[in-house]
Amino acid sequence: MSKIIVCYKWVLIEEDIKVNSDLSIDTSKAKGKISDYDRNAIEAAVQIAGSMGDEVIAMTFGDANAEQSLKDALSRGPDSGYLIKDKAAVNADGYVTSNVLAAAIKKINDYKLIICAEGASDTYAHQVGSRLGAILYIPVITNVTSLKVEGEKITAQRTLEDCMETVTATLPVVVTVMPEACEAPIPGLKQVLAAKKKPVTKVSVAELGLDTSITQPKSEDLGIKGYAMSRKNIIFRDGDNKVKVNQLVGTLKKEGVI
Amino acid sequence: MAIMCVYSETLEISKQLLGLAHELKENNNTIQAITIEEEQAEELIAFGADKVIVLKGENEWPESYAGGIAEAVKNEGADLFLIGDTIRGRDIAAQVAARLQTAMVSRAISVQRVEGAFETERMMYGGSVSKRERLKKLSLITIPVGKYEPVSKDKTRNGEVVSIEVTTDSRVSILEKNPLVKEGRDLTSAARIVCVGLGLDKREDLKLAEDLAAVLGADIACTRGIAEEKKWLPIESYIGLSGIQIKPDLYLSLGVSGQVQHVVGIRDSKIIAAIDNNENAPIFQVADYGIVGDLYEIVPLLIETLKK
Repeated sequence: MSKIIVCYKWVLIEEDIKVNSDLSIDTSKAKGKISDYDRNAIEAAVQIAGSMGDEVIAMTFGDANAEQSLKDALSRGPDSGYLIKDKAAVNADGYVTSNVLAAAIKKINDYKLIICAEGASDTYAHQVGSRLGAILYIPVITNVTSLKVEGEKITAQRTLEDCMETVTATLPVVVTVMPEACEAPIPGLKQVLAAKKKPVTKVSVAELGLDTSITQPKSEDLGIKGYAMSRKNIIFRDGDNKVKVNQLVGTLKKEGVI
Repeated sequence: MAIMCVYSETLEISKQLLGLAHELKENNNTIQAITIEEEQAEELIAFGADKVIVLKGENEWPESYAGGIAEAVKNEGADLFLIGDTIRGRDIAAQVAARLQTAMVSRAISVQRVEGAFETERMMYGGSVSKRERLKKLSLITIPVGKYEPVSKDKTRNGEVVSIEVTTDSRVSILEKNPLVKEGRDLTSAARIVCVGLGLDKREDLKLAEDLAAVLGADIACTRGIAEEKKWLPIESYIGLSGIQIKPDLYLSLGVSGQVQHVVGIRDSKIIAAIDNNENAPIFQVADYGIVGDLYEIVPLLIETLKK
């Protein structure tokens, strides 16, 4: 028996993020969640393991806030949790995150499959899975829509912009999965209760034997601001539908778009 | 002196990347293009590459060239590496970035040169927030497809072609590859788009949207929910962060609430118009024009009026 490691990220709920009128960002009221597609990735790991009796480890790199994610992650079926807890996670880029996760994965050592989602819902950068493969020097198959593991072989289907492709590789492999690879059911009460009893490993970046320089992002952060789109915002709300339709058609004609 | 390098597995996208490199070019900068298809070399030079590096390997899987590409950009001493943001391109870019242990900016919406350094802007949190970064030497940026125009073709342009034998990754092999048959038209170049959202009650009601599209001479697109959950329209017709990004003269939505992930995909529209019965729907905050009302009453009236 060997291990399947599924990586997930605890992110802010984007709808909770407030853009102030000066375009500064207020995240003080934002709650967290397991990144949307990561729930599908966790389910994919659990299903594959279930068919072969493998152990699933749900791994995340986050600050103290990410601790609350473990219960949610484990209620989705993994056997144990692994949190690399460090303040550096807050400003981490793909370089930092992948190096930290890779160090933890190397420590676990006995793994056959690493599963990530195609991208995280906060940064949507699509880097960590591919970077992990390169750092661990194992094959990477991205944007997988369905996969099958038989013995030492993985067969995966991917939908690209212009084709569908089926590829095969020998384990261990990193795959990044699309949400359609696996629907993520909402955990029931029994699973939520069981999650509390599951073992969790917590380590710091230093405990992984990494130099602190690895926690420095590679590019200089010039800051974030709200994205403003300047639009006319002329909305016909009241009155007769016919009048509103005429108003809309009139303005669209004036704009020269119809 | 700076060296800018571009790569895409698709020639048309490489041309767009060369177009961006020319926009960023300052005196005595060199623009290089990497390709794994030798026959592209001539075109790449005609579209602005000073040097083309042809990587020759065994595997037909483009991703298996990531190692060779990393070696090439490192050996050339590139300052900036632009990669087309396709599914293959993203994977290759991130693998190259990891091999070189360097920064990567995914899907930049702008790239500028500020005091000699490259600065980028990209979207976060589904599109409500933008992040700016300043890059160090040899940073990678993936560029959305269709964002930049190629420079005009010049067959007389001179360029050097270098071939390098590389070891491709043989650990992954293709079992089967089938071209996708696109059911609809290419929406990214459509002049007018009618977009349907989950405000539509049932599949048969698509007819209403189709009738409206017909009088407008528009194409039909949809939100992720319509394509993925309801499966009423093909997956390639959904607009948004993970779907297609459109830039029509007119985008007209029917029953689209306007989630931020969807709005990212319509941002470059000239005019955004929306019809929805919820006056607090976020779509109205990003629309030029809108009607608050029942689409089942508004759309037939709209068709009738437009027919006149």
